[in-house]
Amino acid sequence: MPRTQSLPRFRLANNRYGASTSTSKPRVFLTRRLYIVLLLFMLLLAPALPVDAGESHENAYLVELINKGRQAKLASEREWHLLLHYRKDLFGGYTSEQDDPGYFMSPDGKTDPQAELDATLKQFFSDELVGRSKQPAQCAFIARYTWLKQRLAFDETRLPQLACERFERWFADFEAQSITLIFPSAFLNNPASMFGHTLLRVDQRGQTDSTRILAYTINYAADVPPDAGMAYPIRGIFGGYRGYFSTIPYYLKVQEYRDIENRDIWEYRLNFTEHQVRRFLMHAWELGNASFDYFFFKENCSYHLLALLDYADPSLHLTDEFLFWTVPADTVRLIASKPGLVSGIAYRPSRSNVIRRKRESLPSEERELAHRLTKDVGELKSSALSRLEPMRQTFVLDLASDYLRYRIDTTGEPPPELKERNRAILAARSEIRLASEEFLVEPFAKQPELGHNTSRISVGAGWRNNSTFEEQTIRAGYHDLLDPEIGYTPNAQIEIASVTMRTYNRDNQTRLERATLANVVSLSPIDSVFYAPSWKINVGVQTIKHQGCQLCSNGVMNGGIGASVESHWFAHQIFFAFAEAEANYSRAYEERHRIGGGGTVGMLSDLTEKWKLLVTGTYLRYPLGDKSDDFRWTVGQRFTLLQNLALRLEYNHRDHDNDVMVSVQMFF
Amino acid sequence: MLKKVLLLSVTVLFGMQAGLAMAANPDTGPGCGLGKLAWSDYSHQKNIGPQVLMATTNGTFGSQTFGISSGTSGCTNDGKVMAEQKTTMFAQLNFENLSQEMAQGQGEHLASLATLMGVPAEHQAAFFAMTQERYTSLVKTGEASPVAMVKAINDAIATHPVLAKISTR
Repeated sequence: MPRTQSLPRFRLANNRYGASTSTSKPRVFLTRRLYIVLLLFMLLLAPALPVDAGESHENAYLVELINKGRQAKLASEREWHLLLHYRKDLFGGYTSEQDDPGYFMSPDGKTDPQAELDATLKQFFSDELVGRSKQPAQCAFIARYTWLKQRLAFDETRLPQLACERFERWFADFEAQSITLIFPSAFLNNPASMFGHTLLRVDQRGQTDSTRILAYTINYAADVPPDAGMAYPIRGIFGGYRGYFSTIPYYLKVQEYRDIENRDIWEYRLNFTEHQVRRFLMHAWELGNASFDYFFFKENCSYHLLALLDYADPSLHLTDEFLFWTVPADTVRLIASKPGLVSGIAYRPSRSNVIRRKRESLPSEERELAHRLTKDVGELKSSALSRLEPMRQTFVLDLASDYLRYRIDTTGEPPPELKERNRAILAARSEIRLASEEFLVEPFAKQPELGHNTSRISVGAGWRNNSTFEEQTIRAGYHDLLDPEIGYTPNAQIEIASVTMRTYNRDNQTRLERATLANVVSLSPIDSVFYAPSWKINVGVQTIKHQGCQLCSNGVMNGGIGASVESHWFAHQIFFAFAEAEANYSRAYEERHRIGGGGTVGMLSDLTEKWKLLVTGTYLRYPLGDKSDDFRWTVGQRFTLLQNLALRLEYNHRDHDNDVMVSVQMFF
Repeated sequence: MLKKVLLLSVTVLFGMQAGLAMAANPDTGPGCGLGKLAWSDYSHQKNIGPQVLMATTNGTFGSQTFGISSGTSGCTNDGKVMAEQKTTMFAQLNFENLSQEMAQGQGEHLASLATLMGVPAEHQAAFFAMTQERYTSLVKTGEASPVAMVKAINDAIATHPVLAKISTR
């Protein structure tokens, strides 16, 4: 009879107030209204007041359990810390990463594991609805309950178990068999997305490759209002948003990433036992009660999913590996590096990559036919189409439909004729009573765990204007155009927080040679189907030689927009051109600044699988501030030695300023 | 244009409180709290600027948590699709992929729909052929109402010489 457990207590408490008020003599000056207010106030306090004799039986068992728990030191066990997301803090104590007060049964629960354990035990005797999900504690914190019940051997006659129908229904609906880590990789033309995202899919019993889209996912995301604007990155970085867990069907995530954002998806099936899957879902259910402050760099989507996996299998220790930031691709690398954890990897190409690969596989006349079909459905009746074999026709029609859907899904307000054309093509396609053949798509970027690690340290030596130098660079993240491209989006760069110290031997001077806050480049090759602009942004400090000043720090803000094309005349090249604007700040300049614009042209080329070349030339004219102009060119080469080791040879030229350097770069 | 910029800066300046208020009501579309992510504001997120911002905070849309929602139509209040709504909701949310795959006579969305409708994997080829044959009328029905399309497919299964016998639903 679980439901009656705590109700009598509340009634008892009420009765006591009833009793005390009936024996006390109402004062004359106590107006009736004040009296009621006072009564209500005391009612509010009621549950906090000491329990009376009627409950001593229950209380005795609670005291017994608390003592038993303290003796067994349960509050310092890893399991308890995982359940409550406690991390050791700077002062040797514990603080929970959980930020929702409803997650704690004790007011001190966030920082006091023992108080939280005692309070949790106490709450298990009650069917009071707690937390955001409004369930009795036994159900809201079902993983805690299950663990404590087992460790303290709850006597069911003294602490009856409540039926948790909501949880059981929710759990059963998953038909869970295993867990898959889902990693949508970067989308083209947006290097910022190289950080990626991760979510988990709860695979169903009896699921096949074609029905896995029906599975639910466990997704953790910040709740961001639709028009957050510029507040978004700032609040995202400093924990200004709340992060919540959700169970979105996988078919919607596939639509979001593959169809709308055109990102490849990698799926890593994890080797979990049935017992671990149940633990995973029990704890996920608890987190439905919870919200964390969302911190973009560390406590982000990937971090909290790792915490869930850690709970499923406490021997994994996944979250322990991340101190300052959690880059989703790093979490994939970590999981892939755990022996035996990943049982299979699946690739789900983005629609744009499907189109690219299908186009590559076609002879040019069929490629052009598909393209004409997307522009004019009159081509459906052309002999160019009808003279093809039926199977070839299906391929060309399917490609045309893919392309029209790509246009529809990536255009803000797609013109209605795109949809009409797609319908006409599909209607013609349905007349050919053949099932399309499966088309295997080779990924352009290999899976992330084959790529280099996120941070990089470089040691180099070189020569600048008659002086030799040595330099050291450390870069927090992530990838530049010359870094080994395996596992990364091709032709995209995002450098964040990089610092270079250089010692010039002639002057025996050590100085901050370069510092980069952010340096982003996106090269999107344009062809007859895909046309997006290329763009770049750079904010940082570098060292220049200008007029009388030999080594002067120079603050730079630069942004450009342009275009690029791809060619295959020797191995593989991207040619690009940008129009750009730049502002400089340095004491080398008159009025300490100059502002101007100009352009850059360049080429990025894969000479061999391991050898890459980048050549750029830039001309800028500064009509504002220090009236001057600047012509510079660079040649950089990289040779990959190992997955996390590369060699660079770089040459930079500016007006009477030459700089050559050899360096070794290690990723960690 | 100026008005738009002004409005935008006002939103940025005062958006925080408004944002909190909005966050309290995360569900605005069909599906279990999925509304926000694909259906209402998606087109705006395709511009490069917001995309960068979005991705910078790890692409964060959709915020239906289990355990708290008040239960949109077709959904349990724990963020799940109600059993009896699974097929129609799937058909509605995947209509474009389904119609493409019906014309093409195969595909994972179509196979998933067949599974939801009780057609076992070994007989799905017959299901695919049937939906391909009826593509034009099914899509026409579906554009008006996905529920009607599901019903039309069900009726077609019922009169199909093979599928009628093996469908488990």
